[in-house]
Amino acid sequence: MLNGEHTNYIIKDLTYRGIIADEFQDEVIDHICSAVEKEIQNGLRFIDAYHKVLRSFGHNAGLRETQNQILQTSNKTIRIMFKNYLTIALRNLRKHSFYTFINVMGLAVGIASCLLIVLFISDELKYDRHHKDADAIFRVDTEIKFGVNHVKVATNSAMMADALRNDYAEVEHSARFYNSSSMLIRRLDQNFKEKNVVYGDSSVLTVFTIPLISGNSKTALTDPHTMIISQQTAEKYFPNEDPLGQTLIIQNKENFKITGVFENMPSTSHFHFNIILSLVTEPYNKDGQWLSANFFTYAKLKPGADYKVLNSKFPAMIEKYAVPQLKMGLGKDFTIAKFNAAGNKLEWKLRPLTYIHLHSDLQAEIEPNSDITYVYLFGAIGLFILSIACINFMNLSTARSANRAKEVGVRKVMGSLRSHLIRQFLTESVLLSAFSFLLAVGIAWLVVPLFRDLSGKDLLIPFGSGFFWMIVILSILIVGILAGAYPSFFLSAFRPVNVLKGNVSLGMKSGLIRSSLVIFQFSISILLIIGTIAINKQLGFIQNTKIGFNKDQVIIIRDTYALENQVESFKEEILKDSRVLNGTISGFLPVSGTDRTDNSYWPQGSLPTADNLVNLQVWRVDYNYISTLGMTVKSGRDFSKEFSADSGAVILNEASIKMFGIEGDPIGKKISRYVDEKGDGNLDPNRTADLVIIGVVENFNFESLKKNISPLAMILRKSNGLVSFRFEAKDAQDVINAIEKTWKTMAPGLPFSYTFLDESFAKMYSAEQRLGKIFIIFASLAILIACLGLFALTSFTAQLRTKEIGIRKVLGASVSGIILLLSKEFGKLIVISFFIAAPIAWWGIDWWLKSYSYKAEIGVYVYLLAGVSAFVVAWITMSFQSFKAASSNPVKSLRNE
Amino acid sequence: MHSSELLKGTLQTIILKILKDHGKMYGYEITQRVKDLSDSKMLLTEGALYPTLHKLEAEGFLKTETVMMGKRIRKYYTLTASGRSVAKVRVTEFMEFIKTMSSVLQVQMS
Repeated sequence: MLNGEHTNYIIKDLTYRGIIADEFQDEVIDHICSAVEKEIQNGLRFIDAYHKVLRSFGHNAGLRETQNQILQTSNKTIRIMFKNYLTIALRNLRKHSFYTFINVMGLAVGIASCLLIVLFISDELKYDRHHKDADAIFRVDTEIKFGVNHVKVATNSAMMADALRNDYAEVEHSARFYNSSSMLIRRLDQNFKEKNVVYGDSSVLTVFTIPLISGNSKTALTDPHTMIISQQTAEKYFPNEDPLGQTLIIQNKENFKITGVFENMPSTSHFHFNIILSLVTEPYNKDGQWLSANFFTYAKLKPGADYKVLNSKFPAMIEKYAVPQLKMGLGKDFTIAKFNAAGNKLEWKLRPLTYIHLHSDLQAEIEPNSDITYVYLFGAIGLFILSIACINFMNLSTARSANRAKEVGVRKVMGSLRSHLIRQFLTESVLLSAFSFLLAVGIAWLVVPLFRDLSGKDLLIPFGSGFFWMIVILSILIVGILAGAYPSFFLSAFRPVNVLKGNVSLGMKSGLIRSSLVIFQFSISILLIIGTIAINKQLGFIQNTKIGFNKDQVIIIRDTYALENQVESFKEEILKDSRVLNGTISGFLPVSGTDRTDNSYWPQGSLPTADNLVNLQVWRVDYNYISTLGMTVKSGRDFSKEFSADSGAVILNEASIKMFGIEGDPIGKKISRYVDEKGDGNLDPNRTADLVIIGVVENFNFESLKKNISPLAMILRKSNGLVSFRFEAKDAQDVINAIEKTWKTMAPGLPFSYTFLDESFAKMYSAEQRLGKIFIIFASLAILIACLGLFALTSFTAQLRTKEIGIRKVLGASVSGIILLLSKEFGKLIVISFFIAAPIAWWGIDWWLKSYSYKAEIGVYVYLLAGVSAFVVAWITMSFQSFKAASSNPVKSLRNE
Repeated sequence: MHSSELLKGTLQTIILKILKDHGKMYGYEITQRVKDLSDSKMLLTEGALYPTLHKLEAEGFLKTETVMMGKRIRKYYTLTASGRSVAKVRVTEFMEFIKTMSSVLQVQMS
């Protein structure tokens, strides 16, 4: 054994030779000692032995080479490398906790918004995918253009479904839904109003995937007066009972036997029926009219069949079925070629089931659908917000490079390679991104209930799904690497000599990229602000524009047909209340969701042609209709009890006068239509019915203001569906209570339901309102995140220029002068952003407003308002930091170091 | 004396096999063992030995324990379970290699 002295010598000598790595030092000492011992045994002196051993190592160079190799091996070991990077990254983040906080918060808010938007979009795209073979199911839509009338409906003739299956081999199954509406349902003595009740063929259970919990899907709807109900309906009417074979009473009169219970339909479906009544119950299902369209008709094609081929066969089908009926109405010489040549159109078209929710905006849809535009719009907003958040991240990291430049220099001098630095910075950014994502998932989880109300969707964060977490982890890496790439390459490229000498240009001067990123952020923010103002302005415009009737202070009592003969006396009873000014019984109201019927008329005295035949909305009203709803009679008079002949009279709106092309005074002129005498759907060309025009009302809106006002006629007929009252009271609730009391005595056991006319009117624009609200929220989020970034950037520049500010103050600069100096740089950028954003916004708004007939004026001031508000918000953000810097005591800033 | 070029590819195999046969060993001991076994025809240089040991350790084939010896610290290497199976595979591989070499070079291995 070597003595202690010799061992010490070897240890010291090796340290001196640069062997210092923990991993290697002990080992090499032991090795050399052992070798030296051996040599000494062989008869050498200690020092000679030592040098001989050293020689075998290759002296200093060899020793260091070995040490380097060992160090590299250990650096390559993932665990150790990662541990090291992680420690350094955590230390750095903790050291600059202010920036870390802003970075993480900004990114988290951005990602949370993005996550919600992704949830929203993926929900939109999921619609109707749950049906087996969803891609093979199609709906047959109808488009009819005849003269001035143009209708596109989601429905078809009663005959279509059978004809499709019988005539075309590629159609495997077909099914119809009919008359989706709310109906009164009663089990014992209490009537309930159930939404989403429909008639359906028994084949709906084969075309669609509607799994039955009980009952036989083959026979469930084959008999008249049978029905299947959803699970939730079953639980409501038959708690703890087996509903199968039980009976419910529909519309207070007909008994239906329950033959099946189906699973609740998923929210992502274009229909959500609770009750399906057997369609064979309804005699109308055999209606032979090919030109009427009242049945939602679906076809399931055989595997491999191309729906476009089937589409191309429809003209022949029209020739076969519809043309004979058209000939009866329009004369024997009718041909489809002439019809089309005159600019008319009759078309049937298959629409893929999965396209209905996002692409179908026809009349008479089962439920209002969404619009693919929203998907694009929200997708764009999500991307915008995420990019703003990522830009913050990049900007802050590069800005901080000033502080870290020295660190980079020292690291490089110590032998760090560029790749080490890149890895180090990427670790930091991935770590930040991971924090942000976890925080974002938390935020999203907290706000998802709010967003659920806002979007009207049943959204859930899929915490249990492995796919979701895979996406999250992937996104962490992508965002972390993307956001960290620029700073890491930028920082690692510093040359140590320059950095340590202090020659690297820092701060805003080198920030061309940073400036353009700030411009990008604020362009987007201003764009979103302008969009928000424009959408909300258009919305306000629609709701407050002259709509042609007085929608305020009108209450609508629903389901009054249930009162049967008592409707009239109910109305009289309510009118005794002095707060109720007027009342009308009519199921037709100028808001969507109320009754509609239409019929074609031509001015009497000529023959019907494509040019003078007008498709009129024909509304059945009573004597008090116009006075209750506050429409304006422009010429002629309102219906009156003094004129007994008013049952054959009609009041038209201005649009229909124009469509009929009536010259001069229309009062006293007549309009005619054919009568369907036999009731089999075939019009009798020899019999006409006439109506005398007694008055003209000013145009009023009864559909969404997206569309122009179409021709409308009012006739004096019974229509008991709704009773509307105009009232005058400070507290509407008192009036409601009074009406409900009367209702309870006259209609015991019937549900009392009411709405206000103005609310129903507003509901027609719920999609726009929703859009407006969501826009406000995301626009504010975008500007918040952008300002967060700006806040950090200014505080950083202010910090960088502490000395400069100190010297300026000593030399007599005022606080306001310094604030101006600091804000100027960013102020310029925001002005530039405005000039980029304004034209894009103008173009976008122009495009959006195209779908509206009535457009709000989006003046220049909207743009200016958006620009100024962005500037003010940004300036307040900046001046906070600037003021702090400017008002600090110069002694403090100049004395340190 | 064999050339170090020839030795390079077989270093891991040698270390693994020796550790397999002898259990716990420290660096110097391994060099001495190789020297003995090869009749001094094969010299394991320290510059090659230690990086290889560290690499094998990082890959999880070796584990270490340290023993204080006065002022010196001796680091012993042993095979892990995965190291033992790798040692076996490497030796078999090498045997195959020798067979292939003998047919390629058209010589008879003794």
